[in-house]
Amino acid sequence: MSGVLRGHGATVLVAALAAAFGVGLLGATEVILLASEVGPLGAIDDIRLVLGIIAMAFTAIAIYVAAIVTTNTVSTIVVGRIRQIALVRLLGGTAARQRRRIAAEGLTAGALGAGLGMLAAWALVGALVLVGVATGNLPERDYPYLVASMAVPVLAVVLSTWLAARVGSRRVLAVAPIQALVAAVPADEDEIRGRRARIVWALVLGITGVLLLALAVVLGQLTPFALLIGILGGAVSFTGFMLGAVRVVPGVLAVVGRLLGSGPAALLGSRNALRHRERSTRAAMGLVIGVALVTMLVIAWTTVRRIALDQALASWGEDGAAEFDAALGPILAVVATLVGYSAIIAAVGLVSTLTVGVLQRTREFGMVRALGLSRGQLRRSITVEAVQLAVTAVLIGVVLGVAYGWVGAQAVGGSQQVAGMVPPQVPWWLLVGVAVIAGILALAGSRIPARRALRISPVEAIAVE
Amino acid sequence: MHQTPPPAPVVARVEGLSKSYGQGAAAVTALDGVTLELRRGELTAIMGPSGSGKSTLMHIMAGLDTPTSGRLWIGDQEITGLGDTELTLIRRRQVGFVFQSFNLVPTLDVAGNIRFPFELDGRRPDAAEQAWIDTLIDSLGLRERLRHRPSELSGGQQQRVAIARALGSRPELVFADEPTGSLDSRTGREVLALLAAAAADYGQGIVMVTHDPIAASHADRVVFINDGRIVADEGRMSAAAASDFVLGIEVAR
Repeated sequence: MSGVLRGHGATVLVAALAAAFGVGLLGATEVILLASEVGPLGAIDDIRLVLGIIAMAFTAIAIYVAAIVTTNTVSTIVVGRIRQIALVRLLGGTAARQRRRIAAEGLTAGALGAGLGMLAAWALVGALVLVGVATGNLPERDYPYLVASMAVPVLAVVLSTWLAARVGSRRVLAVAPIQALVAAVPADEDEIRGRRARIVWALVLGITGVLLLALAVVLGQLTPFALLIGILGGAVSFTGFMLGAVRVVPGVLAVVGRLLGSGPAALLGSRNALRHRERSTRAAMGLVIGVALVTMLVIAWTTVRRIALDQALASWGEDGAAEFDAALGPILAVVATLVGYSAIIAAVGLVSTLTVGVLQRTREFGMVRALGLSRGQLRRSITVEAVQLAVTAVLIGVVLGVAYGWVGAQAVGGSQQVAGMVPPQVPWWLLVGVAVIAGILALAGSRIPARRALRISPVEAIAVE
Repeated sequence: MHQTPPPAPVVARVEGLSKSYGQGAAAVTALDGVTLELRRGELTAIMGPSGSGKSTLMHIMAGLDTPTSGRLWIGDQEITGLGDTELTLIRRRQVGFVFQSFNLVPTLDVAGNIRFPFELDGRRPDAAEQAWIDTLIDSLGLRERLRHRPSELSGGQQQRVAIARALGSRPELVFADEPTGSLDSRTGREVLALLAAAAADYGQGIVMVTHDPIAASHADRVVFINDGRIVADEGRMSAAAASDFVLGIEVAR
């Protein structure tokens, strides 16, 4: 990637993934509607509206995760460019202008990514339609490739990328011109300035949200409409958690890091995640969202299923569970897959965070290689960092998901319980599944940065610049 | 040529060492047939102008880089042609390093940095080694700083931690690359005195690459290098004499 987009590769990719998802969902919806068009047109329009709204909701989740990833990418780009920014400041450039430039780069990257993603989604839907018609699975129709509503995800991706770049470039304002001249030892960790307003908001939203969730559980014993309060409580409390995450996630990272060993390789990896607390927190939170959503859906499903099963046993006997599974199982699988898509975007963010971290630690790696860190130890240290991030994200995501899922189940099905409150039903396959996915993510995610790190020549790295 | 009688045991040796970069007409020769022995208990300064090949020589002797031709030994072991893993182990166990800057692992505290070579080897210092490390910590004045991170230390303090780390595992050979390059003159003198004392008192072979004549004046032996060749190999000399020598080389270039 050259010129204005240097370093923004991850941003382009993430924007493309989010836009492709939104456009692809809307395109697929259109195809399914046309293919199954049998009834009167009025009904189709209603279904189209509902499916469109659902597609937009899934897309919004993907775009939100993409924005978190981009905020991180941009803020790491800024850290890598501090000398350059300081030099321009020294020569008389204003910080605001420097920041606008980086935000503009983000806008360009977002637009390029959204365009590429849109093209990819068209190509994919088009190819699926061709295959479907050719194999006789789809009726021959004049399928539209362009729907007006596709503009919504595309524009949302462009705008959110630009906004994320603005948020991520906040640090530019703190760069002092003198930093161009001093060969500063890199600071131990990001300064987390006492943004007290943020903490207060995190607490206010968190407590309000939890109270709403509790209310939803209580009202859920009377009416399924308590779910609406539950959704509100979930949104409010999770926003609070996002705001306060930088105070919570590093603590979990530290504990997980300690469990991963105390050898030099493990220490180099696990301590690094704690050096940039905001960066690591955002990298983990992208994954937390995906894991929490999937877990929430599964737990809500299994818990409601349990309630239905108890009720069915009480009234109709064994067949109730099988009917429930047949009716809702496939829908759950589709929904969980769509929600899980955000985990792919988060994975890109994880790889990009680790890779940038490696590039910014060239001298450190060169130095420790000179001191006798073997190639295997270097690779292990990067794997440890990836495992630490992934395990932390999965732990937090599962805990949140179980809590939200159970509240949801109680809100929607609590009034149908025959004998007291059903506890959260946590299926073992879910735990195994997230553990396997986290493992694969960590191992795959550390491969690219590890290859970069192994390419560092100690001699070049320790040469004084 | 100056000889130091009686000859002390050799800790490192290179023979006919050459290094060139690039191919054909664009080839650049960094080292051209260098033969050199380093002795135990001596602080040797390698001096020369920028681009003379002194850093390349140090990198190759320390097992960080490989020569185009020639042979080299650390202690009695020939390390010519060893692979990356073997060289890594040699550096870990037999060589200590003090760089000009960025010497320490930023995420480890002072104690962790000093212990780092042991941990790389997957072991803890034994009682005798720990006593030696404690001696170093006290004599370098680092006792109060053990829990500090590198970013909380001054440049001179960081250099002293690097020296404690380089000497702590008692490697046969310590390489110091412009160890005073980023220090003020008083701190620089302290660091040089420490290196000279380490060689004299503890019998290690210490090699210092520098272009600073004052630094060279602390050495037991000064080797001058120019255009990839050794042009002089002298005993102790004053800063003025070392400076004149380098000036002579520069003017003749």
